[in-house]
This record gives sequence, C-alpha cells and structure tokens, in this order.
Amino acid sequence: MKSLDGIQFAEMVKMGAHHLFQNADYVDALNVFPVPDGDTGTNMNLSMSSGSKETEAHAVAHIGKTAQALSKGLLMGARGNSGVILSQLFRGFGKDVETKSTLSAKDFAHAFQHGVDMAYKAVMKPVEGTILTVAKDSAKKAIEVAEHEDNIIVVMEELLKEAKASLERTPDLLPVLKEVGVVDSGGQGLVYVYEGFIAAMKGEKLPEKTSSYSMDDLVSAEHHKKIQGFMDTADIEFGYCTEFMVKFMPEKVAENPFNEHDFREGLSQFGDSLLVISDDEIAKVHIHSEQPGNCLGYGQKFGDLIKIKIDNMRQQHSEIVGDDYKKDVLTSVPVKKHPYAIVTVAMGEGISDLLKSVGASAVIVGGQTMNPSTEDIVKAIESIGAEKVLILPNNKNIIMAAQQAAEVIGIEAAVVPTKSVPEGLAAILAFNPEATVEDNKTTMTEAYAHVKTGQITFAVRDTSIDGVEIQKDDYMAISQGKIILASPSLVDVSKSLFHDLVDEDAEIITIIYGEDVTETEAKELAAFVEEKYSHADVEVYNGKQPLYPYIISVE
Amino acid sequence: MSIELKNEFGQIDISNDVVGQIAGGAAIECYGIVGMATKHQIRDGLTDILRKENFSKGVLVRQNGEDLHIDMYIVISYGTKVSEVAYQVQSKVKYTLNKTLGLAVKSVNIYVQGVRVTNP
Repeated sequence: MKSLDGIQFAEMVKMGAHHLFQNADYVDALNVFPVPDGDTGTNMNLSMSSGSKETEAHAVAHIGKTAQALSKGLLMGARGNSGVILSQLFRGFGKDVETKSTLSAKDFAHAFQHGVDMAYKAVMKPVEGTILTVAKDSAKKAIEVAEHEDNIIVVMEELLKEAKASLERTPDLLPVLKEVGVVDSGGQGLVYVYEGFIAAMKGEKLPEKTSSYSMDDLVSAEHHKKIQGFMDTADIEFGYCTEFMVKFMPEKVAENPFNEHDFREGLSQFGDSLLVISDDEIAKVHIHSEQPGNCLGYGQKFGDLIKIKIDNMRQQHSEIVGDDYKKDVLTSVPVKKHPYAIVTVAMGEGISDLLKSVGASAVIVGGQTMNPSTEDIVKAIESIGAEKVLILPNNKNIIMAAQQAAEVIGIEAAVVPTKSVPEGLAAILAFNPEATVEDNKTTMTEAYAHVKTGQITFAVRDTSIDGVEIQKDDYMAISQGKIILASPSLVDVSKSLFHDLVDEDAEIITIIYGEDVTETEAKELAAFVEEKYSHADVEVYNGKQPLYPYIISVE
Repeated sequence: MSIELKNEFGQIDISNDVVGQIAGGAAIECYGIVGMATKHQIRDGLTDILRKENFSKGVLVRQNGEDLHIDMYIVISYGTKVSEVAYQVQSKVKYTLNKTLGLAVKSVNIYVQGVRVTNP
C-alpha cells in the first residue's frame, strides 16, 4: 500500500472505533489516573464513535476532507480527559493533511507526529506515562520507519508495535500505575484504536472481544478505586474481599446452565466491586462482600471451588491508616534540623518571620548598615546542621561575603544573588527541596528576575545622587536601586515610588512597613494603592525593619 | 481564613492558601489547561497567566458554614472542548482535595478567563 485515500481512512476510523467499543469495559477497569472513576473506556468510546459517525457521513476520496470530518466529530463528542486528548491528536493529524488528497507513507507518519505536537501544546504539565506518551513514542517510531519504507501498512504496523511497547512502559513513568499494577487506561484505549486501523488496512477481522487481560490487573485497579474512598475504617460497608474460581462440573452445569451475565447478576446481591471473567471451563470471581459464605455457596451451584482467598479489609485498612489497632506512643527521632537549608539576611523581626514562613531556615540579622561577615554566615549555616545550603544575601553589599562563605563552608552550597528582601522572598518561593543546589540556584535566580523592588529611607546628610538634590532628613525613594526623588513628605515620596514601579502588568504589590511607620499609616497607603492600581492585589506586612519606612515590591 | 479539622489528638488548621495551591496544582495537570489566570478583570483582552507560586491568586476558596466552595479562573487551549476540559478540572480538583486533605468540597466553579491559541 503506497498511498492512502479518504475512503480507506474512513474504514480505518470505523474499525478503530469499533475495536475500542468492544474493549471499553477493560479500559474502564484499568482507569486509576487522573481520577480513579473507571470511565476512561466509556468516555473514549463515546468520543471515538462520535468521530467515526461524522467521518462516515462525510467520507470522500480526498483524505484531507475526511480527516477534517473526523477532527470535527471528535471535537463535538469529546468526553473525559482521554477523549479531549484523542480529539487533539486527530485535530493535529487533520490539520497536517488538510490539503492532501492522498497520503504517502512519509505523509502518514508526519501527520501522526503533527497530532502529537498539537496534543502536547494544549497542556501545561504533560504527565508522562499516559496516552500522550504512547502517542508520542509511536509517532516518533513511524517517522523513523517512513524514512526508508514506502509501504503504509508497514509504517502502521511498526507504529502499533511501538505503541504497545510504550504502553508496557507506562507504569515506569507514572507511579500510581505501578502501585496498582496496571498499564495506563487511555494509552490502552489508543492501542485499541490503532489495532483497528491496521486490521482495516489489511482487510482483517478482529476478534469480537480480546480477553487478554488477567483477573489480577482488574482486581488491583478495583481495589485502588475502593481504597481511595475510605477515610475511615468504619466507612467500609462490605468487609471481606473474596476471590475464588469455579471449575464447572458437567452434572451441575446441566442443572444450572452457566451464563456469565446471569451469574454476575446473581452475585451482585452480595456486595460490590464485582468482577467475573469466565471461559468454557472456569469462572473467576472477585467481590467485596459482607457474607463471603453466600458468595461461595452461589459459586458452588455451578461446580467445584478452587483457589479461595478471603481477606478482612477492615483490618487491612486500619493497619494502613493506623487507627484503633495501634495505640503505640510515637517517639520523635532527633533529626538534623534542616538538611537542605536556606540561609538569608534581613533586618526587622517582621521580615525575618515572613522569610521563615515561606521557607528560610535561618535569617541572619543584617542589611544596609550592618553587613554580616563571611564568618557570621558560616556560623549560621553550621548552627542549623545543614548538609546542603543556599545563601540569599538580599543586599548587593553582602553578595561577596556570601560567596566566600559558600566556598569555605565545606558542604554543597550556592549563592542566589538577591539584592533585596522582596527578591529573596520570590526566590525562596521557587525553592524545590527535591532539586540539586545548582538547579535551585538557577530556578530561584529566574524567579526573582521579574520582581521590582522599591525602598524608602531617609537622608543622613545633604547631597546629590543620580541627579537628585537631597536635603538631610528628606525621605528618598529608591526604585530598583536608583534614587528617583527626595522630599520631606513620606506620603508624596511613597506615591511617586509606586507611580514609578507599577505598570499595568503588575499583579501583586507587596508593602512591608518598618518600625517608623504606624499600622494606620501603612493601611492608609495600602488603601490608596488599591484604589489607584485596582488591577493588582495589594499585600501588607509589618516588617518592623529599621531605617526603611517602606520596602515595596511589584511583580 | 482556614479550615479546621478536629480529631482526638487536637486540631489541624489548613489555610485557604494551601487549599488554593493544591487546587491550582491539580488543575494545571489537567489536559487542555494552559494556565491559571487572576480573578481580576481581563485587561486589554490579554489574560495574564500566573506563575506557579501565585496559583492561589487564581483560586478563590470560600467557606460557607461547613461547606467549602472553590472558584477557579483558568485559561484553556484553543481547539479543545471547553465544557469537557472544565468538567475534568472540577473532578480532578475535587478528587485531589479529598485525597490529600480529606476535604469534601461542596462546589468547584470554573471561570474560563481566556483561550490560548497555539500554532504547532
């Protein structure tokens, strides 16, 4: 097959949708992520059948137009996370082939790749180990194969093979899958669609139902869904997880003909989380019930019971959540206070508390008029028993001392060269305890890049700086390190400083007022700022810092 | 404002900011969302997408007696089914808050503040 047209493509879509429909129950059973509500298969099936209907209604030889129809049908019928992703995948596919009447193997592979690109664009934090990963890995493979292969069927075969391999790898990427012991449900759904595609290309029929899954897969997924719901052992309504197999006996089955559907119905009166899988010889049963005996008795009507396992879930659950059964007194083990520490510098009790509240391990008292020495910083780090440390000087005159401290301390250390308290705050908020010192340094440095700092202090003598005439005891507005104005009126200076710093992109304005300012004054200023710059949120803190009536930041 | 949980050992207070952060974090893992927006009016038709540490700005946690209501302001990707993406966010947020904090949320209200067009 060297080229693919719209009519053939419509057949593929139809078969893909049908094959997914056949296996929707199994996909439902696997569903534990993002929310274990067991509807992935149902949702994907509804999405895909809507896509397939629209494709069938508008199928023409021009593949671009047919793919548009699929894209539209999927968008209209998209249900659930996986349905929305599916619609994006084929929206990208459709966009890529829009003007083509037939596809070569290369075009075909490229369209899948374009679909993946489109799908990844619509999410902020793509979670790997999901349908996205399966689509991505398999499209990449298709591109590779199409480089030297012009038979579309071969490309599709390879694509499917890689999709299956990628699906098998999903538990390695997404911990919850591994925990439960299943593969990703959405990824499995996509594999079914692709299996339908290839069958249609080759003109093969697919088995009505693939019973390839094991009871164990389903049971653990079922348990996972259940366990989520219980906050309290007392909430468990059906206390015994009961599993058994019935080996059919001819004489019993002659009397009670076995029918899976009726058998399931009959058992459902005894509990929930019911799973039944059967073939000609055996029925496997899993049920949560309050009367496991009744369940076993019911099974015995059809044959011998083999492999019986009954667990008391209440006991298991209370062991997990540690209530009732555990009355041990916990003793606390002394640990290093802050193995991964942030040491910073600031003046003012309020600011110090604020820095600690966002994650600083130690705040060295210092700043404009009393710069801590290298030794002060080293001592502070040693006193908290850190193994790794980030130092935030919050003042350009302390950066040097901080760097020297980082060199001599003898543990992993880095300096995030913050020049003001607001920069320090923004940097600390970006700290990630899981990341390396170097990576944290990078992300924290980026984090405060957009923070603008303004400070108000008073002049100790007459002078002229940055072209501004300053009289002793004037208030000075320092915007981003530059003096912009001096005046005897604190209110005027404050307003000018805001005027200089706040633009219409400002989202958050933080006002930290010092010991020379009363709460009332600070509140009045905040009210003015809120009024004037109503597009931003204003936050006010009592920093209790000396010398600086106001420290403000705009981000 | 905070949420109080009591048990036999004492009391646990969870601040609304924490609820906001968790809700925001859960939301942006959802497919189809490209960001959280501020609850302010959109300026010049451009919605600012909030940075991670400010998610709680795009999440409003309201307590009404025992009930907890959450309003979220989101920006979605163009070409996705908006109603479905919003529904996914609701269910993910509800589930995550229940799982991590043991909080039952009465309502999660979604305000779609913007659409982001991306051209691959």
